[in-house]
Amino acid sequence: MMKAKSASLTSMDSARDPEGSAVIQIQKLCVEYAGRGFGQGPTLAVKDLDLRIGQGEVFGFLGPNGAGKTSTMQVLLGFREATRGEAFLFGVNVRQPIARQRIGYLPELTYYYKFLTAEELLRFYATIFKIPRSETERRIDALLDLVDLGSVRKRRIRDFSKGMQQRIGLAQALINNPDLLILDEPTSGLDPLGRMKVREIIQRLKNEGKTVFFSSHELGEVETVCDRIAIIHQGELRVAGRVGDLVAKYHTDLEKIFLQIVGYRAESSS
Amino acid sequence: MNTISALAGVVIKELYRRKDFYVLFVLTALITVLMGMMRFFNDAKIIGYVKEICLMLVSISALVIAITTAARQIPAERENRTIFPLLAKPVTRGQVLVGKFLGSWLATGIALVVFYLFFGILSGSHENRWPVLIFLEAFWLQWMMLSVVIALVVFGSVTFSAPSANITICMIVVLGILTVGEHLNQVAMQQNQPVGSIISMIYFLIPHLEWFDIHKLVLFNQPPVPWVYCLLASLYALGYTAVFLFAAWLAFRHKPLTA
Amino acid sequence: MRTSRAILVLLLLLSATFTLATVLQPQAARSTAHSPSDSPLNLFMGDSRRMFANHFYVKADVYFHSGFYPSIFDQARDSEVKENHIAAAQQGKEDKPEQEEGMNFLGEPKDWIDRMGRHFRITEHTHLGGENAREILPWLKISAVLDPQRIETYTVASYWLRGIGKTDEAEQFLRQGLRANPNSYQILHELGRLLYENRHDPARARNIWMQALRRWRETQQGLKEPDEGSLERITGDLAKLEEREGHYADAIKWFELTRLHSPNPDDVQKRIDSLRLKLAAPEHP
Repeated sequence: MMKAKSASLTSMDSARDPEGSAVIQIQKLCVEYAGRGFGQGPTLAVKDLDLRIGQGEVFGFLGPNGAGKTSTMQVLLGFREATRGEAFLFGVNVRQPIARQRIGYLPELTYYYKFLTAEELLRFYATIFKIPRSETERRIDALLDLVDLGSVRKRRIRDFSKGMQQRIGLAQALINNPDLLILDEPTSGLDPLGRMKVREIIQRLKNEGKTVFFSSHELGEVETVCDRIAIIHQGELRVAGRVGDLVAKYHTDLEKIFLQIVGYRAESSS
Repeated sequence: MNTISALAGVVIKELYRRKDFYVLFVLTALITVLMGMMRFFNDAKIIGYVKEICLMLVSISALVIAITTAARQIPAERENRTIFPLLAKPVTRGQVLVGKFLGSWLATGIALVVFYLFFGILSGSHENRWPVLIFLEAFWLQWMMLSVVIALVVFGSVTFSAPSANITICMIVVLGILTVGEHLNQVAMQQNQPVGSIISMIYFLIPHLEWFDIHKLVLFNQPPVPWVYCLLASLYALGYTAVFLFAAWLAFRHKPLTA
Repeated sequence: MRTSRAILVLLLLLSATFTLATVLQPQAARSTAHSPSDSPLNLFMGDSRRMFANHFYVKADVYFHSGFYPSIFDQARDSEVKENHIAAAQQGKEDKPEQEEGMNFLGEPKDWIDRMGRHFRITEHTHLGGENAREILPWLKISAVLDPQRIETYTVASYWLRGIGKTDEAEQFLRQGLRANPNSYQILHELGRLLYENRHDPARARNIWMQALRRWRETQQGLKEPDEGSLERITGDLAKLEEREGHYADAIKWFELTRLHSPNPDDVQKRIDSLRLKLAAPEHP
């Protein structure tokens, strides 16, 4: 019965798909992990995932822990090779480094070179994108002001708090003025002010026509900022669609929809 | 090339912001100066032993800096997860390897320059002579040798699971080559088959790092090595460097970055 | 709180360790019969210090040859590469053909690697001469510190020290060697040479050489293979001293003793004969 319901939910996917190529295109993606123990077979972390994200969308990629979100992101970013299937960024296969020329990535756990200062870190990443020197300095100034780290630009990353590291992470993700921003739990560990800042940045990017693809457990935020979402569970895509359409269909908030999709049953009181 | 030089720059910054180099340099200088203050048989003109100790410390320090710097590059990137924001940029794994190698090699070269400057000042001030050419050759050849060592260590860093294992094994291999590498052909001739053939094969396969150690020529005021042989040795070193880096790339290119 | 507790435990353990050591040490000393005057070097390094002492002694020879020296593999292959040349010089055997044979260890290159490698090595056999010989001295000093019972370190160092005009230092070093090796006729012989050749004191030299001869008789006579080379040198030097002093009869007596142990008895006999002629000459009383 649950599977039938899932099938009907997925058919509600009427995502906005503007004419033109998709920013992210995932086709029949499978990611398999080799068995750890003796006699253990491989584990399929992602099964036949199909996903298409158009330009200008803010897309939320949701799922419980172990659902396959991270594995999917790792394939998109080139950290891991797909067992089967393909993925494309701006029409370029993710296996090619040039596919990442127009993206910015903010990992969940922010680790940067602790011995570099904030501006050295941004300058380093700007060099990789081959941004001209004068433009690099202008962008560094703008980004450090944007994330409120202008006053500590010459401080080493090792002396940054967790929140400051998250913010410098956001700055490095934006150094190349990306057309696609991939965020992995962007508000994790941030205080309310920090979370507001992230929401503002996402909104600003959306207004500029950029695409944002992020995973999050903060369903309230997802409901607020996202145009479309996908919920993945046990490696399979269970539902994908506009937030408004899903909420209208289920007459409830996103959190309850999520719980229903993943098959959560509350413990009945005695 | 921008990417590779940017990666190399980060490695160099890391070296001079860590304490390792300064500790080793201060130790070398301190031990050398203390040894130089000793008087054997009330003779202030004896300098040979000071030069030898200094050159030995320079060799050891350069080797330690090279191996430890190179050994921690890739594992530290993975352990600290800094490799993820890096590879999320348009950077290939090959560029990461080459950048790390180049950074380690240049950083070691900078350290070597400082060491050799110290040695040159020490030697020149005692002997009132400045054989700059042989000093330059000694520095250049040692730097070329370290390119092979660093490439080997980079290969080890993507092969072995723990940096400590990599450092230990590479140190043993390098010291083994330096001490007995040139004599393996003699040893092979004295062994029965198939041991003799195996040793002979090893003799021809290993990079002969002992060519690059001309400290005895410096110590005993010998004439410099003819430049053509320096050039051939440099090409030999670059060849082995390329081989080890290529092997590292083959091992690293499809390696998952997470468990 | 945790830190102070840890420090307290550490202090208690240290106290217990030292207490145990004071109880056990006398018993251990009795059982191993160690002399209380054993140096810390001896205690820490044991017999391995002799190995290091030998290494530094050989290093002095390496320096003497300006770095051109056979490796242990060359030495294992070629047993002629045995004798230490700084010692040979001290014994007056330098530049003899048989001394130099062992230094032809390189041979023809065995392969292209060997051929290429020779461009980065010292391939010319030379000896440090004159003032440059001072460079071998630190290694001899270190060798003596590590193994005070190694006689040749003192005699060889003394020879080279005298060669660069450091007579006082040579004598001091020899006397240091005598304190560590009171029965050493070799050190006494070298001391005699110092007194004769550098201090120009034949009387003291004679006394020291006589003492050396007595030590030799005490330690070597009756052995299956006594050290005849040293005896020949001591008696030969005594003979030459007496000859230069004009005491031909005494010189003849010593040369006759030398002839018995010399590898070139005919040459010694010629000298005896010429001395006899001088003795028989009318102007000689």
